[in-house]
Amino acid sequence: MGVVSRSVGNAFRNKVRSGAVVVILAVAIGLALAMLVANQAVGAKVDSLKASVGNNLTVNPAGSRGGLGGGNPLTTADATKAAAVAHVTGVNGTLTVRLANAATASTSGSAGGPADRGGAAGRFGSSGTTSLVSAVQPGVLGQRNNGTGSTGSPTGGTAGGTTQPTFTIPIQATGVSSPTTAAGTALKLTGGAQLSDFAANSTQALVGSTLAAKNSLKVGSTFTVQTRTMKVTGIFDAGDAFDNNGIYLPLAATQTLVDQAGQLSSLNVVVDSIENVAATQAALTTALGASNVDVTAGSNNLQSAITSLGTVQNISLIAFIASLVTAGLIVLLIMIMVVRERRREIGVLKAIGASNRTIGVQFTLEALVLVVLGTVVGAVVAAFSSNPIVSALVAGNTGSTVSAAGPVRGGGFGGGGFGGGGFTRTRGAFAGASQLIGTISTSVGWQTLVLGAVGILAIAAIGALIPALLTARVRPIEVLRGE
Amino acid sequence: MLQVKDVVKSFNSGDRTIKPVNGVSFSLEQGTFAAILGKSGSGKSTLLSLLGALDKATSGDVIVDDVNISTLPDRKLTAYRRDDIGFVFQSYNLIPNLSAKENVMLPMEFAGVSHGERSKRAAELLNQVELTEEMHGRLANRLSGGMQQRVAIARALANNPKLILADEPTGNLDDETGELIIALLRQLAHGKKTTILVVTHDHALAAQTDRKFRLARGQITEA
Repeated sequence: MGVVSRSVGNAFRNKVRSGAVVVILAVAIGLALAMLVANQAVGAKVDSLKASVGNNLTVNPAGSRGGLGGGNPLTTADATKAAAVAHVTGVNGTLTVRLANAATASTSGSAGGPADRGGAAGRFGSSGTTSLVSAVQPGVLGQRNNGTGSTGSPTGGTAGGTTQPTFTIPIQATGVSSPTTAAGTALKLTGGAQLSDFAANSTQALVGSTLAAKNSLKVGSTFTVQTRTMKVTGIFDAGDAFDNNGIYLPLAATQTLVDQAGQLSSLNVVVDSIENVAATQAALTTALGASNVDVTAGSNNLQSAITSLGTVQNISLIAFIASLVTAGLIVLLIMIMVVRERRREIGVLKAIGASNRTIGVQFTLEALVLVVLGTVVGAVVAAFSSNPIVSALVAGNTGSTVSAAGPVRGGGFGGGGFGGGGFTRTRGAFAGASQLIGTISTSVGWQTLVLGAVGILAIAAIGALIPALLTARVRPIEVLRGE
Repeated sequence: MLQVKDVVKSFNSGDRTIKPVNGVSFSLEQGTFAAILGKSGSGKSTLLSLLGALDKATSGDVIVDDVNISTLPDRKLTAYRRDDIGFVFQSYNLIPNLSAKENVMLPMEFAGVSHGERSKRAAELLNQVELTEEMHGRLANRLSGGMQQRVAIARALANNPKLILADEPTGNLDDETGELIIALLRQLAHGKKTTILVVTHDHALAAQTDRKFRLARGQITEA
């Protein structure tokens, strides 16, 4: 029997006490690991935010945000100017239009003219028609005060004695020049493939999942936009019912179909580094004309989000250290108790030739056996508790619910209907910090486990060594005499 | 082999200085079986702990094979206890959750002996003290007092020490087992030339030793 097997055996001399110690250690170590996981997950989220949003600027026609009107639409010439500004590494223009259901538009007879991005609006502010039927019902709010201030119903109503036409929510079509959203992020497909043909005569389309379900569309199905038959290449999931009620089309095809050649709704501008965002924002405003465009930076919200997440990171780091120290104190106190109980044994071991080092190693190994068991159980505890802990920390410090997954989006329309004009939702510009944070996913990787375990074992070794060496230093007779 | 020169051990109790060992001097040749007799509290066990380097003398010299252990640093004292001394305690002091054999193997483990060799030698030593094979694997706390004392003697012999110090080795044993232990110690002294010093108040044991000393009020005289 060597010192290792002797230590393992000694660790379970008192099985009830050892079991209790392992449980207590598991809670402390589990909490420490969960905090370490939380710290790393939040750190990764900060990096991700900086990478995805931090360098982006959004350019919109002046005053168009919020659906309350706006100036002239952006053009491809504006995109070219933006691309020439210093520190700009990429420009992604999009055109967002609304399509009314062809059947509904023909019966109402009053589909409005081009009204995107503000400006004079028709009743429904649509730019064209489609064979698709909206998957979103306007409900009571959508029918209320629709031009006259009276409350209608989804099937029509009266206002001041005048019969109001049935209101339906138009379908948002976004023209893109690459397989990304207006915010520059890739769409999450649930089936099919991304857009690949971006020519003006392209017939490719991506359809949101709820819209596809409403219209019984699958990959390969067809529908019409204006007079062109489009083919579904993919079904996407943007995270909520409203976004999933839209379609993505090639930019040039969209411009052709709605007769808005060369026009853009917004530009997503990528800056070379987060440090140059402010300067580039000013340069873009100057280059495109302050009266023509609004240039907004996601970094305002980003800063707020990072500050909030930084608080969570600090809390989790402090909690990790506190849990680690607690685990160390538990080991220290337990080993003080164990060593005091076994002073006689230590005296005997010294009397028969054990060195202080041998005694220190034996008691340290005994403590490590308990800590290793506590770490194994604690890792399981951490695996199950880290997500709820991160959720609670993030929600408590940012007001964000970490389960609110989905793309970043701007505000811009109230609950009182859409009759006043365009309600194109500009993405990114008005996103709040909590929306920006979105989902934080945690994972207990082996690196985290190794890092946490090394810290815990180091603390445990110190906690076991101190009482063992203090006792081992005394003369054998001092511990034997008292027995 | 063993020279004890004017050894004093004193400690303070309140405002008094107590000297359980006060200027003790004697010497023993190799292979001597000797006994120190004395009443309880006469300083016998204290003297034994000084000779076994379990404690430090206040003054004086303890010389074992020309090495003055009174001046050795802690690290060398550990080696002295491990290699040169075998200590038999009155209350056995075995490690309770280890088997008889594992207890005997411990000093050899500290001396760096390989597992196979120490297992073999431990079995030999336990056989030598007449502990049957089936008892070798029994936990120490499940052995009778006589068996535990035999295991303690086997453990003291593990590293072939020059000097065995035994504190009341028969104090907790019945007469029959006590005689067995005495015979064993005599055989070790005379057969293996191991120097053995026992402290006892058992005159039957003392009668069988080669030399007898009497300790009273901290001072020693040869009987």
